[in-house]
Amino acid sequence: MVASLLTARGLNKQFRSGNQPVSVFRNLSLHLDRGESLALTGRSGSGKSTLLNILCGLEKPGTGSVQVLDEVFEGDTDRQTEARWASLRRQQIGVVFQEANLMPALSLLDNVRLRARLAGQSEDGCRDWLERLRIGELAGRYPDQVSGGQRQRAALAMVFAMKPALILADEPTGSLDRHTAEDVTGQLFDLQARHGCGLILATHDVELATRCSHHLDLGHLPEN
Amino acid sequence: MTWVIQTLRWGLMAIVLSLSACSETPGSAGFAGLAEQVEEETFAQPAPGDRLRFPEDFGPHPRHRIEWWYLTANLTTEQGEPLGLQWTQFRQAMVARDPAGPAPEPDSWPLDAGWMAHAAVSFQGQHWFAEKLARGDIGQAGATADPFEVWHDNWHLQVEGEGEGDGHWRLQVDGEGWSYDLRLTVNGEPVAHGEHGFSAKTASGEGSMYFSLVDLVIEGEVTLGGETFGVSGQGWFDREWSSQFLKAGQQGWDWFALHLESGDKLMMFRLREAGGDFLSGTWVTPEREVFPLGPDGIRLEKIEQRDTADGSVPVQWRIQVPGRQADLNVVAPQGHYWNDGLFPYWESPVSVTGSHQGEGYMELTGY
Amino acid sequence: MTVFSALLSHYRRHPLQLLALALMIVLATMLWTGVSHLTDRARASLAQSEQAIAGQQQLVREDGQAVSVQDFADLRRQGLCVMPWLEVQRPSPEGRVIGVDPFASACFGNEAPGQAGVDALNGEPFLDIAEAAEMVRQGSEGDLSLLVPVDVEADAVPSDYRLKDFSMGPATGELGESFLLNLDALGVLVLLITALLVRSVYQLGLVQRRESFTLLRRFGVPAARVQGLLLTEMVGLTCVCVIPGIWLGRWLAEMLGAGFGQVLENLFDAPLYAVDGGGFAMPAMIMVAVVLLACFADQRVLMRLPGVTGSVPAWWFGIPVLGLGLAMVAWPFTLGWLFVGIALVFVAVGLLTPRLLSYVAQWGAEGAGAITLWQRRELAVLFRRLALPVVALQFAVAMVLAIQALVTTFEDTFERWLAQRLEAEFYVEVPVQAAAEDGVRYLESLSGLGDWHLVQRGATQVRQETRRDRAGSSVAADVFSISPIGPLVMGWTLLDAVPDAWDKLAAGQGVMVNEQLARRQGYRPADPIGFTLGEQFLELPVVGVYADYGRPEGEILVVGQILPETFTARFQSLSLNPGALPIAEIELGLAAVWNNDNLTIRDNASIRSLASGVFDQTFLITRAITVLTLVLAGTSLLIMGWVFFTTRAWYYRLLFVWGLSRREVAGQLRWLAMFLTGAVAVAALPLGVWLTWVLVSRVNPLAFGWSLPMAVYPGFWLEMLALCLMIGLAIALLMRRQLGGGVPAPAMANVTGGGER
Repeated sequence: MVASLLTARGLNKQFRSGNQPVSVFRNLSLHLDRGESLALTGRSGSGKSTLLNILCGLEKPGTGSVQVLDEVFEGDTDRQTEARWASLRRQQIGVVFQEANLMPALSLLDNVRLRARLAGQSEDGCRDWLERLRIGELAGRYPDQVSGGQRQRAALAMVFAMKPALILADEPTGSLDRHTAEDVTGQLFDLQARHGCGLILATHDVELATRCSHHLDLGHLPEN
Repeated sequence: MTWVIQTLRWGLMAIVLSLSACSETPGSAGFAGLAEQVEEETFAQPAPGDRLRFPEDFGPHPRHRIEWWYLTANLTTEQGEPLGLQWTQFRQAMVARDPAGPAPEPDSWPLDAGWMAHAAVSFQGQHWFAEKLARGDIGQAGATADPFEVWHDNWHLQVEGEGEGDGHWRLQVDGEGWSYDLRLTVNGEPVAHGEHGFSAKTASGEGSMYFSLVDLVIEGEVTLGGETFGVSGQGWFDREWSSQFLKAGQQGWDWFALHLESGDKLMMFRLREAGGDFLSGTWVTPEREVFPLGPDGIRLEKIEQRDTADGSVPVQWRIQVPGRQADLNVVAPQGHYWNDGLFPYWESPVSVTGSHQGEGYMELTGY
Repeated sequence: MTVFSALLSHYRRHPLQLLALALMIVLATMLWTGVSHLTDRARASLAQSEQAIAGQQQLVREDGQAVSVQDFADLRRQGLCVMPWLEVQRPSPEGRVIGVDPFASACFGNEAPGQAGVDALNGEPFLDIAEAAEMVRQGSEGDLSLLVPVDVEADAVPSDYRLKDFSMGPATGELGESFLLNLDALGVLVLLITALLVRSVYQLGLVQRRESFTLLRRFGVPAARVQGLLLTEMVGLTCVCVIPGIWLGRWLAEMLGAGFGQVLENLFDAPLYAVDGGGFAMPAMIMVAVVLLACFADQRVLMRLPGVTGSVPAWWFGIPVLGLGLAMVAWPFTLGWLFVGIALVFVAVGLLTPRLLSYVAQWGAEGAGAITLWQRRELAVLFRRLALPVVALQFAVAMVLAIQALVTTFEDTFERWLAQRLEAEFYVEVPVQAAAEDGVRYLESLSGLGDWHLVQRGATQVRQETRRDRAGSSVAADVFSISPIGPLVMGWTLLDAVPDAWDKLAAGQGVMVNEQLARRQGYRPADPIGFTLGEQFLELPVVGVYADYGRPEGEILVVGQILPETFTARFQSLSLNPGALPIAEIELGLAAVWNNDNLTIRDNASIRSLASGVFDQTFLITRAITVLTLVLAGTSLLIMGWVFFTTRAWYYRLLFVWGLSRREVAGQLRWLAMFLTGAVAVAALPLGVWLTWVLVSRVNPLAFGWSLPMAVYPGFWLEMLALCLMIGLAIALLMRRQLGGGVPAPAMANVTGGGER
């Protein structure tokens, strides 16, 4: 098993604001091994979400390359590239957003089962994941019937149920109160450590960032 | 002179016949198409030198395109109220025909000619009017010279009584809710207008054949809205035929036929056109001397207009005939006297004051 | 910034939503105005044409000679308003042309038959009588009639003439009325669909502005005030949108209806003036009322239709309503009762359908795989959330199915009606004073003549047979006597009969009754029926019940031989196929034996083709209306579906995040959208079939006493299904474009709703 999980080199991203090109980040490189965690911090608009999107193939970088496991992406946009990214997201990369990670028409359990099924995992362990995240008794509830913290716990359950190599979490506790947020992040780190997968966490919370093995502040990147 | 009238059916018939002739634009074809160019090879056009012939000229003239029989009457009811009355019958030919030649077969429902009849009664400021239409040569409407008869459906004017000349005429007409039945005694010989009956209508020579019976004594009954009035009074009868009356640019006319208490009779008309009006007339003395009046012999002046729903019309006039020391004030009674047919025109009785007293009729077209 | 402008500011940020709402009101108004305009126009035209054909009379000579131009001139000179009518048979394609005299018809005023104006004298079919006379001169067959206005009384007629009915075409009787009643029902249904569409858009707007409302309430604005402002906003918007909607509807109706009047004119030879534009006020007020009712009714009314948002209250309430409605339709007492029943069924279906579809979508999904489960659940959500447009499309499809079946049935019935009335090639009226027997003897003497029979019509009293009835009471009915009974009648449709019915009828051993009499008096084959013929009372078994379209009267069909001397025939005619003989020869012969040159002979084939042509056109227009309704309902579902799908775009995007390829996600969406609209079509099917059944078997018998045959057209069902699937496909394509864009933010799901289940 290769220890290297993710390598990004020379990433550039800019978007147009009016007629002016605005640079989000330039020549950004990073590396992550299995079991490691990386915190992305920075003010709003510093490109945390954009970087996460690039790292899971939802967005294309301007230039630069990304390697996830054995798959190397050099910025191609052909259908085959897309299929490789899709396959990675399906089985290896779990993504957790700030909210709305669950299909509203499915119960919590069915959401977890759907995610596991897509990742090619058995649906058998799904209920256990909910139990482990202490929402087992809510398995039959629908997303709009539980609290925000419970929904985010269910989102974590979904991610772990797919047994990913890499978890990308974009402000996963951003909409939760502090107590719940700590609880949820605690479980996230706990499970990540236990399963040895990589974690990249975009957050405003400096304290949280300190719990990660690496820290990248997008607001204080060197210009070159 | 009811040229007016003929306006009417002209348009409709032209359409029926798919003739392209019709035009309702006064500028090009005159009021109701009367200024339309005659097809010389088919229709006969009256000219100076033509003469009247009796009794034939009481009957139709198939070689001519347009003609009419026209009667106006200034009557008084038994209660002494004035009552005016008009009857006109028009013939409009599509095809000229030799009077000696065969008439079209009625079975073919021919459309060689169309007929139209108008009748009106004016009483107490009110005006009753009716219009009838028919195709010619099928017997529905027509005219004969001898015995004299003019008919359209159940309206007819015909000679009654024995012998020639001493008989009287009878005129029966009914409209919706009104009718009249008159007995007319004809006094005097026909008066030929213009040059032995050729009445010029333009300075350039277009005209019609035109004569009048200016002294009719009338009595009879008029029924209006269920009430029957005995009436008596005097009348005026016109015969006129031509193939083209107006020339291009003539817009309409003002026509007067007046009975003066002196026993004089006056007929005059004015054709209105942009470049200068054309006036003509005839003065008849009590002794039946006839004096044609040329453009220089008459003056006509508009005194007062009246606004009506159908337009503004002059209802008071000053007519001067210097040669006869006549200076007449002619005025229509209160009311609106539109003959509201296919082509509306004004037809009202008038009273005369000024140098002479009298009464008569006035016809105004193109307003 | 006032509260009102704060409320409106939502639309400044989302102008497309305002546009969609406005567009929906405009379209709905247009649809309803167009349909009601067409219906009014059809009604007015039909009324006028029927009046025109019913109202005419002619003068014929007492001596039986044909009338001529001389008669015309004589009558005119006697002061009668008479107009000539010269019908000339021309070889195809001209067919029949009619010569009229526009001068002579002037006295008819606007009532003049065939006088749409002089410019209508173009040979279609009217032309100047001189031209028609010329055709006759050149050898075409011509028939001159002299028409008089309907108000001319017999005593005003000169003694050498008499009045006679003059018919310018086949009277369609109540067939036309029935058709119009159904058009009316169509109009009401369209209004209902309109209301549903408007409500759905409005509800969607509310969902999208939920944030604004919350904010306003947080600022202390009372809910009632917000409600009032919303009301103001809707009234304003409706007023602005209704006017162009009405205008467009008119325009549409003019386009569709242009041919309608023309066609009726050709059938009835009557001018139609029913092109009155009508005012704007009435339709505008109705539309404003409908919009307000649709949007705000549930604030006050207990019963709520399921909405785009909110819970679905009282869906179960649909079950008793459905039962009640069905019962009312099954046992209708009156027409009004029946219509209330139909309305209840529609309300119930509207309440139940989204629930039912939603339930069906999830049914059995539990054991299925996770993706299938998601699909089914998502579909169920769509059915519930898009309830209003779904129901609107369902109603529209059901209506189109019913109208199509009805129209096809009408066409078919009309064909049969024509066949029944015009079975023989020619129809000869027996002149009033002539002896029918002379004509019969003459026909019998001919060799080579085809099938023929003598028809005698008269009146009878039928004894009422009801058990609890006061003895001796009776009802009036028509007698329809035929002799001999031959192939011309034996092809009639019998609804019910004893064996060898025609033989028994021919032998005088029984009578047949029409459907109307059978329904009203409850006669079945083999029942005895007591009735009078002249002064005679007869009791014979009923041997058959025949369909008799388009008339309200009860009728007894008997063989001519049983008519007693005392029976007075109100009307007698011969129906005949000339066979090997030329019709002209038969006509001459009959004219000779009856000593009457003025026979009324009608070429049934030409009447038939003419009449069929008219109805074809009429039906074409009806179809156009229904298709239009469908298109608009489809468009609305398209818009609503698209908007709703858009609110859920984030979740469809999740599929992509979770590793489905774009193509797979698009496939999922396609499946969802097409299943949605396809299911609507399927759900509409039973409603449509039921509606058809109600129209032909319930409404018509109640209104007119006769039923239309029920028929179904599965081929058309498939067309509807295909159409609905295409709407679904369109939604999916729109969504695919939407998802093809940038990365949606997850927050969007909350702002716009879309997290519903």
